Amino acid sequence: MSEILEQISTAVIEGEVEEMVDLTEDALGDDISAEDILNKGLMAGMDYVGVEFKAGNVFVPEVLRSARAMQESMSVLKPLLEESGVQMLGKVLLGTVKGDLHDIGKNLVGMMCEGAGFEVKDLGKDIAPEAFADAVKEFEPDVLGMSALLTTTMRVMETTINVLEEAGVRDKVKVMIGGAPVTQAFSDQIGADGYASNAASAAELAKQMVGRA
Amino acid sequence: MRTNYRVNSGVRFRMLSKDQLRELYWGVLHVLEYTGLEVHHDEARDVLKKAGAWVDGLRVRIPSYLVRRSLKMAPRSFTIFARDGNPRHDIHIGPGRAHFGPGPTCPNFADIETLERRPYVKADVPQVAKIVDALPNIDFCESLGTVSDVHHDLGALYEFAGMFPNTSKPIVAWSYDRHDSAGIHEIAVAEAGGQEAFERRPNYVHYCEPLSPLVSTYEALEKLLFAAKHRIPLIFTPCPIAGGTAPVTAAGIITMAAAESWMGLTVAQAIQPGLPYIMGGVLSVMDMSAMILAYGAPELSLMMAGITELAHYAGLPLWQTGGCTDSKTFDAQAMIEGSMSVFFSALSGGDLTHDVGYTESGMTGSVFQLAAMDEAIGYSRRITRGIEVNEDTLAVDAIHNVGPNGHYLREPHTRRHFKSEFWLPNLHDRRNFEEWDMMGRTTMKGRTVAWVREILATHQPSAIKSETEKVIQKVLEAGEDRVKDQ
Ligand code: B1M
Repeated sequence: MSEILEQISTAVIEGEVEEMVDLTEDALGDDISAEDILNKGLMAGMDYVGVEFKAGNVFVPEVLRSARAMQESMSVLKPLLEESGVQMLGKVLLGTVKGDLHDIGKNLVGMMCEGAGFEVKDLGKDIAPEAFADAVKEFEPDVLGMSALLTTTMRVMETTINVLEEAGVRDKVKVMIGGAPVTQAFSDQIGADGYASNAASAAELAKQMVGRA
Repeated sequence: MRTNYRVNSGVRFRMLSKDQLRELYWGVLHVLEYTGLEVHHDEARDVLKKAGAWVDGLRVRIPSYLVRRSLKMAPRSFTIFARDGNPRHDIHIGPGRAHFGPGPTCPNFADIETLERRPYVKADVPQVAKIVDALPNIDFCESLGTVSDVHHDLGALYEFAGMFPNTSKPIVAWSYDRHDSAGIHEIAVAEAGGQEAFERRPNYVHYCEPLSPLVSTYEALEKLLFAAKHRIPLIFTPCPIAGGTAPVTAAGIITMAAAESWMGLTVAQAIQPGLPYIMGGVLSVMDMSAMILAYGAPELSLMMAGITELAHYAGLPLWQTGGCTDSKTFDAQAMIEGSMSVFFSALSGGDLTHDVGYTESGMTGSVFQLAAMDEAIGYSRRITRGIEVNEDTLAVDAIHNVGPNGHYLREPHTRRHFKSEFWLPNLHDRRNFEEWDMMGRTTMKGRTVAWVREILATHQPSAIKSETEKVIQKVLEAGEDRVKDQ
C-alpha cells in the first residue's frame, strides 16, 4: 500500500480530524483514485477501529472521532466519487418514533452508521409515521432505522411500517429497528427487515441490508 | 452536666467542601440565568414569565434571585403519611434521614416462581407491594415494572390501583399524563378523606421526569402542574448520562441536572408556595464499550453523593439512587454493586433512595434483589447510626467490675445494650460450618428466595377503606372508557 494511504488510515485510527483534508488532497495529487482513498485508506482505518472496539480496546468517543475524521475526507471525495459513478455504500434515514423522547441510543446508531461509510439523515425524536414516510420519499434512503425505548411506543413502529405501505414506499427501503425493549421476535412479528441490539451491530446490519457486509 | 461538648452520634460523610458547594450552586444559577432551558409548555412558560423569568420562544432563562427565592420557599423537612395512620410507615423527610424503596417501570420482571426474566404483568403489582409492606428496611413503594397486560395507556393507573390496597407505606407514583395523575389522585384523596385532609397529611408523592439535556417536556410539566395545583409532594428528576446526554465530568453532570430540576422547582413554587419538593437526578455514566447507562458504576454513587450534598446545601431533599445493578441475575456482581450504592446512599443521607431492586440496568425488576438489599440497608443503617459515647456506653464501671481475666457474658451492661449495639442479621448466615452443613448448606440466594415466598404466603397488609375500593373501581372503569376506541 502506498505511504499516503497508510497515513490516511492511521489518521482515521488516531482521529486526526484537522489533517484529513490535506492528506486527502495530497493523495489525490499523487494520482490515487478517490475510490482507492475510500477503500484502502479510510475504510481500512475504520475496519481496524471496529475490530478494536469489539475487543474492548477502543471506546465510543474514540470511534466517533475516527468517524468524524473519515467524514472530513469524504467531504472532498464525495463529488469525485459521484462523478466517477462509484457505488456509495448507501443512505440511512433515522428517527425515534412518535411519543418517544429517548434519543441517545439512536444518535449512537447514526454515528456508527456514518463511521461505516453511510450517508445518514437523522430526523430526531418523537417522529410521526407520516413524517417518516415523507422523509423516505424525499431522501430516498436504502435503510430506514427506527428506535423506540418504551414498550408503549414500540407498537408505533408497526404503525409506521403500515404507513410506509400505504404511501407506497415500503419496498423501497429496508426497515431496521432497535432500542432497549425491542427484540428479534418483535421485529419478525411486525414485518421489519431486521433488528440490532446495539449501535455497532446496527451498522453491521445496515451493511448487510445493502448487500455490502 | 456537660459543657462545650460536641456530639457526633452517627457516621458522617462529606465529599465536597463549602467552597466547592458554593461553586456548584452558583454554577447551576449561572446555567439557569444565561443558558436557560427549553420549556415545552405554554402555561408553564406563562407562569415563569409572570414570576420574573425571561421567555424567548421556547427558551426560558431564570434570573438567579428567582431561583433562590424558590429554593427558600420549599421546605427541607416534611412528612409523607402512611395511608392507614400507622406511624411506623410514615416518612419524615429531614436532615440526616435516608429512606429506601424500589424503582418504577422496568419492562421485565424476575418471576417469583421460576426466577426467569419475563414481561411484567398486572398480577405482579400486588405481590411487589406486599413485599415492600413487609420488608423492615424498605420505606416507600414503587412497583418495579410497567404493567404489560392492560391497555397500553392505562399501565400507570392499574399499577397504582394494585399497589395502594397492598401496602400502607407511602407510594411514589409516576404517570403517563394528566389523566393518570387525576385518577391516582382521586384514589389517594378518597382514602385521606378529601382534598383538604390530603393536603394536611399527603399519603403519596408524584414523580415526573424532564429530558436531558436542558428540556422541560410537555408531559413532565403537565404532571408537575397537576401536582402543584393539588399540593401533591413532587419529585422532578432528570436522568442525564455522563458523556452521552450530559457533560462527562461529575461536577458538570451535577450542575446540569440541578439546573433541570430547579427549573421544575421554580414553576412549582410559583404555583404552590411551600410545595414539598424533592430534587431529582439519576446520575451515572454511559459505559463506553457496552453503551448502556450503568446502574452499578462507582460513579453513580459518587455523582449521587455530590448532588445530594448540593441539594442539602440549597435546602432541598434529594431523590437518591441505590441498590441497583447491571447484572442480569442474582449473583456476586449484583450484591457488590447493590450493597455499595446502598451504603453510599445511607452515608450521604439521600432522602429517598429509589431503584432498589433494579437489575439489568433498569430493564428487569427483581424482588429478590430488593429483599437482599433490605439486608444491605439494615447493615448500612447500623453503621451510619454510629457510636454513642456517654458515661454508660463508655463502660468504665463495667470494665472496673469485670477487671482482668473475667468475662462480659453475664454483665448487666451486656444484657442491657447488646440488642441496640448489635445489628441482628436476617438473611446472612453466621453459623459454624457443621450447623450450616446440617441445615442444608443454604446460600444467600436460596435464603432470599425462601424469605420472599414466605412473606407472600403470610404477610397481610392493612386494608383500605371500602369507599376507596369503590373509587378504585370507578377510576379504572373511567380509564377503560376513555381508551376504548384507541
Ligand atoms: C434503527 O435501529 C436501531 C438499532 C439499535 C438501536 C436503536 C435503533 N436504538 C437503540 N438501539 C440500540 O443501540 C444503542 C446503543 O448500543 C442502545 O440504545 P439505548 O437507548 O438502549 O441505550 C442508550 C445508549 C443508553 N440508555 C438510555 O439512554 C436509556 C436509559 C434509561 C434509564 C432512560 C432514560 C435515560 C430516560 N427516560 Co426512560 N429511560 C429508560 C432507560 C433504561 C434502560 N436501561 O434502557 C426507560 C427506557 N425509560 C422508561 C420510562 C418508563 C420512561 N422514560 C421516560 C423518560 C426518560 C428521560 C427523558 C428521563 C431519559 C431519556 C433522555 C434522552 N435524551 O434520551 C419517560 C417517557 C418519556 C417519553 N415520552 O419518551 C418514562 C415513561 C418515565 C416517566 N414516567 O416519565 C422505562 C421503559 C419501560 C417500558 N416498559 O417501556 C425504562 C426501561 C426505564 C425504567 N426501568 O423504568 C440499543 O438499544
